[in-house]
Amino acid sequence: MLLEVKELDAGYGYLQILRKVSLQVDTGEYVCIVGPNGAGKSTTMKSISGLLKPMGGKIYFNGEDITGLPAYEVTQKGIAFVSEEMNLFVNMSVQENLLMGAYTIKDKNAQQDRMEFVYDLFPRLAERKSQLAGTMSGGERKMLAIGRGMMSKPTLMLVDEPSFGLAPQLTETVFESLDILIKNGVTIMLVEQNVNKTLSVTDRAYVLENGRIGLDGKSSDVANDSYVKKVFLGV
Amino acid sequence: MYINFKAIANWAKSAAGITITISIAVALYATINSGPYVLVNTIITGGMLALVATGLTLMLGVLNIAMFAHGEYFMIGSLTAFYVFTPISNYIMENPDSFLVIIGPVIAIVLSMVSGAIAGVISEKLVFGPLRRRSTDNWVMNSFLLTVGLSVLLINLHQLIFGADFKGIVRYWGGMPVSIAGAFISRDRIMAFLISGLIVFLFWFFMTYTRTGRAIRAVSQDATGAQIVGINIENIVLLTIALSCALAGVAGGSLLFMYPSYPTMGLEPLYMAWFVVILSGLGNILGAVAGAFMVALLKVVTVEYIGAGWDFVVPSALIMLILIFKPSGIFGSEVRGVLDK
Ligand SMILES: Nc1ncnc2c1ncn2[C@@H]1O[C@H](COP(=O)(O)OP(=O)(O)OP(=O)(O)O)[C@@H](O)[C@H]1O
Ligand SMILES: [Mg+2]
Repeated sequence: MLLEVKELDAGYGYLQILRKVSLQVDTGEYVCIVGPNGAGKSTTMKSISGLLKPMGGKIYFNGEDITGLPAYEVTQKGIAFVSEEMNLFVNMSVQENLLMGAYTIKDKNAQQDRMEFVYDLFPRLAERKSQLAGTMSGGERKMLAIGRGMMSKPTLMLVDEPSFGLAPQLTETVFESLDILIKNGVTIMLVEQNVNKTLSVTDRAYVLENGRIGLDGKSSDVANDSYVKKVFLGV
Repeated sequence: MYINFKAIANWAKSAAGITITISIAVALYATINSGPYVLVNTIITGGMLALVATGLTLMLGVLNIAMFAHGEYFMIGSLTAFYVFTPISNYIMENPDSFLVIIGPVIAIVLSMVSGAIAGVISEKLVFGPLRRRSTDNWVMNSFLLTVGLSVLLINLHQLIFGADFKGIVRYWGGMPVSIAGAFISRDRIMAFLISGLIVFLFWFFMTYTRTGRAIRAVSQDATGAQIVGINIENIVLLTIALSCALAGVAGGSLLFMYPSYPTMGLEPLYMAWFVVILSGLGNILGAVAGAFMVALLKVVTVEYIGAGWDFVVPSALIMLILIFKPSGIFGSEVRGVLDK
């Protein structure tokens, strides 16, 4: 098992959001978390990535206890987090943002290889190497955020709402790029609003509601669940 | 060669272009009108201000601290240089052929830089770090108040331990003044300018092209993003405060021959550096350097043509005007204000 989250409690200040959330991800899997707004999906990802200290529970990565490790150490272990807000460096060029993504890789050649891999994945970024990240369009910024996450050569990528605010066509592009990453052996945990589409491409799904896992299983089964159909898919 | 005239014209029409052009014109006029010493004074004051102001910008951008104790690191630098150089200078008097004639001042100035950095690290460990760990609510205000307290504390510590008198030296490097374009300029002044120029250049290079410099900029632009890509923010914070205080320290040390050390000597460079930071927009190194020379010019020209008592009034008035018309500063168009975060 690549990632194991055991009875995770997390929140902000005195406000507890997650209650005993448990989930597992195997190497090479494409897993998603779906749920209504405010359910705690981003909170789950922030806790795993080390940006938020858990209140309780355990997080194991590759069998190693990473609970409460600072984010920079979690990144060094091989988890990349592409946040909802993207957190790009707005006054740096595309190229510099990508270089920052490879901060944990010291070898210049390896950095260069990653850079080429990302430019192949998103030719659009290659065209705009020297543009400031802050002046890019919403879709380009999403690509840059995913690309920057890829730069550290992660084993596991946590991707939070990559299609948020994108036109349908760009949403397709984003999903395609995630597909390519999966084919390259990267494990992905995806949070998405676009439940229909997400359940159709991922292997397994967790349904998070009010800070609790309500349901989990194969994505196709979850998509056919009557409750999920009623609440999320609107059928 | 192909020259992009349109880009140049656009630049000249921008706020930065207009101010830089006007500044150069004023500098030329004052030089022709009153003599080259105007230019020399501007360049030396500007170089010193650039060192102090880049430190301020950095503290503001990376640590989110509106630093009002920065002048005291300038003071610590000059104090260190005084106590290091005085025995060296006595030794030189007796042994005029010693290698220390050349190297002695360098030792004093380097140690002033080191003492600035150490003082910065101690302040972070004792003052800012503990506050940051306890709570970051209202951080900008609380940390600002702390810096004011720190300033008062350091000023009084100086007075208590070293006394309130002027601790100065006659010169660093002796010898005849050098004649440049008909003006006689002392070697110390030339060296002071070379030192600040070299340090500003090295610093700019470090920030632009090295991995660590890039990490510092990353933290200032998006602290969460920096953590995500694997940067240990605590290290960067410590490094940043050490660097900014080292810059202030070396400014104080290298100008000891002009400004003797005394408890409140840091207040003037502090206010001037704040003018620079406000003028040039937050978090912009090259802007801070350009702004430093403009504020220096303004000060020198004011003293020359209006009178010595006015050298604070005119720059402040101008800065108010600039803030009314261009709140983000002259060079600050793309930089978000740190205080908005
Ligand atoms: N920094 C914060 N401080 C306090 N409360 C927060 C903070 N961030 C999120 N919350 C609260 O935690 C709850 C869960 O938020 P979270 O961002 O995890 O939801 P989400 O499932 O990602 O929702 P969405 O689909 O809208 O992104 C929400 O009620 C939110 O208001
Ligand atoms: Mg969310």
